[in-house]
Amino acid sequence: MAWVALIPLFPALAFAAMLVMSRDMRTRLRWLPLAAMSGSLALSVAALLAVWPGGEEPVYRASFALAHLGGAPLAIGLRVDAVSVVMLMVVTVVGVCVQVYSLGYMHRDPRRGWYFAVLSLFSAAMLLLVLAGDFLLLYMSWEVMGLCSYLLIGFWHEQDGPRRASIKAFLTTRVGDVGFAIGLAAMWTYAHSFDFAVVLHDTHWTAAAAAVVSLGLLAGAMGKSAQVPLHVWLPDAMAGPTPASALIHAATMVAAGVYLVARAMPLFHAAPPWVLIFVTWVGASTAMVGALLAMVQYDIKKVLAYSTISQLGYMFIALGAGGEGAALFHLVTHAFFKSLLFLGAGVIIHATRTQDIREMGGLRKVMPWTTTTFLFGALALSGVFPFSGFWSKDDILMTLYARGEWWSWGALVVALLVAALTAFYMTRVCIRVFAGRVCSLAREGHAEMVVPMAVLAAITAVIGFTSPAFAAFLGEVRGWPDLGMAVTGSLAATAGIGAGVWIYGFAGVDTQALRRRFPRVSTVLDNGFYFDLTYNRGLVEAFMYVAGVLARFDARVVDGVVNGAARAWSRASDALWDFDGRGIDGAVNGLGSLVIRAGARARELQAGRVQGYQRLAYVGLLALVLFSVLTSPIGMLAAAGCALAVLLVVGAIIVRGA
Amino acid sequence: MTVGPIAFMALAALLFCIGLFGALSKKSAVLVLMSLELMTNAVNLNLVAVSRFFTPVSMAGQFTAAFIIVIAAAEVGLGLALVLALYRIRRTVELDRIDRLRG
Repeated sequence: MAWVALIPLFPALAFAAMLVMSRDMRTRLRWLPLAAMSGSLALSVAALLAVWPGGEEPVYRASFALAHLGGAPLAIGLRVDAVSVVMLMVVTVVGVCVQVYSLGYMHRDPRRGWYFAVLSLFSAAMLLLVLAGDFLLLYMSWEVMGLCSYLLIGFWHEQDGPRRASIKAFLTTRVGDVGFAIGLAAMWTYAHSFDFAVVLHDTHWTAAAAAVVSLGLLAGAMGKSAQVPLHVWLPDAMAGPTPASALIHAATMVAAGVYLVARAMPLFHAAPPWVLIFVTWVGASTAMVGALLAMVQYDIKKVLAYSTISQLGYMFIALGAGGEGAALFHLVTHAFFKSLLFLGAGVIIHATRTQDIREMGGLRKVMPWTTTTFLFGALALSGVFPFSGFWSKDDILMTLYARGEWWSWGALVVALLVAALTAFYMTRVCIRVFAGRVCSLAREGHAEMVVPMAVLAAITAVIGFTSPAFAAFLGEVRGWPDLGMAVTGSLAATAGIGAGVWIYGFAGVDTQALRRRFPRVSTVLDNGFYFDLTYNRGLVEAFMYVAGVLARFDARVVDGVVNGAARAWSRASDALWDFDGRGIDGAVNGLGSLVIRAGARARELQAGRVQGYQRLAYVGLLALVLFSVLTSPIGMLAAAGCALAVLLVVGAIIVRGA
Repeated sequence: MTVGPIAFMALAALLFCIGLFGALSKKSAVLVLMSLELMTNAVNLNLVAVSRFFTPVSMAGQFTAAFIIVIAAAEVGLGLALVLALYRIRRTVELDRIDRLRG
């Protein structure tokens, strides 16, 4: 079954091919990732059939040793089991839908070739992540996804907003990823392996070690899945193209954290009980914060972003209660209906040229397909029977109920409250957008945008009924929903929808008046519970202050030293220049003029007159004669005699003169 | 008082010095040639005197002197011809102004 490696390889190859193309070529071949993704989808279906009828045991495992560390092999590998196949199906189906939709949505952007290439890389990373058989490969794909997320959020990097949002997303998830890396290091220290089977089943964990590792993994998951307090990046991430938001920031990447915790669940069970209780409360607070903030947003994508945060919190609640099957089922249903909602929002934004729901209205008349499919998604999100959200939400509520401890009761109450709030804010959006009078010249989207939405809507409508089969596929036992819990959940949804219809529909309550009446509440909500403000004050500004101090140090001390050295060097050079000019040039010139002067003297000897040469010859002859005479004894005697004679003559002349 | 070899040698040395002085200091090429003749004759005088006083049997000195006189006559002829040729080219025989050896 080694062919499963082709599933992530197809989009990866498409990306590699597009990476080396020119922009024109990329734009022309923008269907290439779609083709690759379709191939992956086909192979995923084959993998699903191969795994059928499911269970906990993997049907295929392969590993490849990268190196040996301290005697233990550092291996990466693939693993195909029920969970990975389910994730494969989600990623490929949503991926294909988003690719088709993007062809319509991005049809005017000059850089759309690059968009499709990055989307392809993201798909490859996500597919590799769910196929990974060990935490190391999972972590690698995890980081590649983070890169793609950064690139796609900042796709329109000419504008300030997307650029800032991409950096914020990258840095915020990085905080969690540091925890992830620490968890992995601790895992290696204790288990000497990253393999799922070894780490999760063959290793006997002490409670303390399991706590360290699982908290590390949880930190990574909280960053990626936008859990409080690391959720702040996801609303800003909506600055990217809407289909990318649908695929990455709603359906797949943000769910990777849930997938990670679900995978590592045996580790969480080995840890002290408070770790899982902590997971539940992280999820509960996230679900609550997300739902409350979604109510006050006016940007349709931000509503959906906070809703995603809230639903991811829901999944964490389920994980904390030990219901990884319920969490994964909610992940699947959420992936379909939330990507559907995002795609619908994309069409609406395209048609109305605004993201503000206050400026929309009456779209049901001009955009019937979008309205219908969006309503499918909204009903599923609100948990209305028979749409998929109802089933998965019910599974989570049942898991909490079955747990039957004080904290799971508390979480159950929060979950029901969040369900009601979810139904309420979705009703608010639907009424604002689709009801009322027509206030724009909107038209229905292109076929390549509407058809994927219709496909997703169909899946959303029917997938809920697979709930027991899904559980069986994962190797769990779960029947049809308990009637009491189904009624309770539906009541919560109905209450939310009813309140929404009453406030925004029939009664037409002035929400601005409500805001004025509760100014403190509305300020807190408008500021998103002050998370961003706290981070800005506490982290960003502190960091900027330290950076400023360092910059001044740099400017004064370091630059001073450098400039001083330069100045000293310059002075030394000047001195050397002077020495060069006076000393060396002087020596050279002096030598030159000496030679010239000597030459001038010497050339007088070479005047060209025969008699001058003769004189020299005579002087030379005289010198030779004198030399030979003076060096012979008789000659010396004669010379002495001559000298005496000269002295006598001179003396005589002097005497005579006197 | 007999005239000894020292007197002849002294006369020869005097002649040679006069010739040398003339050769080194005269401006006219003709005068220089004449000075050269003086020096040649000083040598001839020495040859004849040495031969007469120290080897009276052999006449080698006298013969050599006669030979030199013939050669010197030829040499003067050649020298005067050169001077004439020089005069024809340079319109002068003043040695100070003939400095083409300078290059």
